[in-house]
Amino acid sequence: MYMENQDYIVCECNLEALEAFVTSIEPDFDIKIVRAPSICMTMVQAEDAVEYQPFYLGEALTTECELIVNNQKGYGICLGDEPVRCYCMAFFDAISQLIDIDLSKVNEFLNEQFLLIQQANKIEYNHIQRTKVDFKLMEQD
Amino acid sequence: MGYVAVKGGTDAIHNSHELVEFYRLKDAVTPIDIKQIRSQLRLAVDKVMGEGGLYAPDYAAIALKQAEGEVFEAAFIIRAFRTTLQRRFYSETINTRELFIKRKISASFREIPGGQILGPTRDYTQRILDTGKVDETAEDIQKFLEIFESKIDREKLQTVKTYTKVIDLLREEGLLKPIDKNEDRRLVDITREAIKFPAPRSARLQMMARAETGGLMAMGYSSMRGFGSVHPTVGELRYGHLPVRIKDPSGKIRYAGKIEITEAEMVSSVSAAKKNAIPKFTIGYGLCFGQNDTKVICMGILDSTMRSPDTGSPANDQEFVLYHTEGIEAMGFTNHLKLPHYVDFQSALSNIRSAMERNAEVKEGQKAEEVTFMQP
Repeated sequence: MYMENQDYIVCECNLEALEAFVTSIEPDFDIKIVRAPSICMTMVQAEDAVEYQPFYLGEALTTECELIVNNQKGYGICLGDEPVRCYCMAFFDAISQLIDIDLSKVNEFLNEQFLLIQQANKIEYNHIQRTKVDFKLMEQD
Repeated sequence: MGYVAVKGGTDAIHNSHELVEFYRLKDAVTPIDIKQIRSQLRLAVDKVMGEGGLYAPDYAAIALKQAEGEVFEAAFIIRAFRTTLQRRFYSETINTRELFIKRKISASFREIPGGQILGPTRDYTQRILDTGKVDETAEDIQKFLEIFESKIDREKLQTVKTYTKVIDLLREEGLLKPIDKNEDRRLVDITREAIKFPAPRSARLQMMARAETGGLMAMGYSSMRGFGSVHPTVGELRYGHLPVRIKDPSGKIRYAGKIEITEAEMVSSVSAAKKNAIPKFTIGYGLCFGQNDTKVICMGILDSTMRSPDTGSPANDQEFVLYHTEGIEAMGFTNHLKLPHYVDFQSALSNIRSAMERNAEVKEGQKAEEVTFMQP
């Protein structure tokens, strides 16, 4: 699973499903919490889309977490006050770097969640598309 | 002017805080759930985040509940809250071309890439009070959602797309004014460095991104009405959500979630400075957290006005615009007037009384002189 996709899925998927899945596979690993999930801030950098002038848009509440899973470090960083999600993100980050580990169950879960997220996005997008407008000028038919 | 501090009043202040809670709760109605505020007062939450300078929808909802719906106060609470947290990360630069479009309109062009999408807007409504909201029930909400969901065919869903921007088309045609190489393009952070005037454009954009919507609107409106030089058109206005990426301590760039933003590019035409030169368009830029059309439109107008400094016009004066649209500071200063100023006032009172006494003495003296003069 491509790293960005993995993070994207963990950040956007249903929290209950994520927690249940991680809880179910956690016993198979040796987990040490280096930094328990805690909130902090991230300054969001933006740029004017015309002249590419960089500027700071404002901060975003962020949760960070650091784990060691089977001697492999894993980091979680996600927006919001999201201790469970952030822990899961760090957990996935660590296990995806482990060698000789069967990740088929993990990939299956992530793929399943990815399809659900994509479907939800598509549905929202299609609702939004219903508001597409083509104003005619008064002298036009 | 000097200030003299006051002391005491702790019990009364404590009781006053308790009384605030009493008036918030005295009717003993069902408490508002934070999820309800976040979901059903979406635009108020967006305003609190934008003006509080912190993207945190749940916390903004809590602040709104705590402040009994007072957006200024809620934004103030959020600003205070952010000072208690450590800034651990800087995001990668967000790319608004990646926006998941929820709204995308142009007042300049009828045909734009992907078409005009109204999205969620009250623009074309008549603002008629809907008294039906009084009796809204959970069943009504469910029924509405079922009907709404049935309006699209789930077997024929279009794929999600991103779209080229209108300004990209203008740029390709060479219609935009080139970047002024003399402009100060340094990246500064106004939360870490006190603003100095003239401020670089990055500082102006950052200050406006967390400025108060009403303040920006007043300034932008003044320019459009003639107390300034800019009356632009909406080149493009977009609202939606986009990804935020952060570099983790190992150096990997990670997807960390999405934020909602509104963005505006305001187009103004400028006449050529030199004879026979071709006039071009300039773009004023607006970007803020959440959905807030008014804010980004006015930010775009003021981005343009402040690039043509003129102390004779409030909207073209950086210091005037930036200091007076900073809602939290303006609110704080205004409200400090309620705090005890007894000594200042007593001193003013004493001065006026002395002046009156001196005046009365002079008049008495003049009267006495007149009487003496009249007596032979």
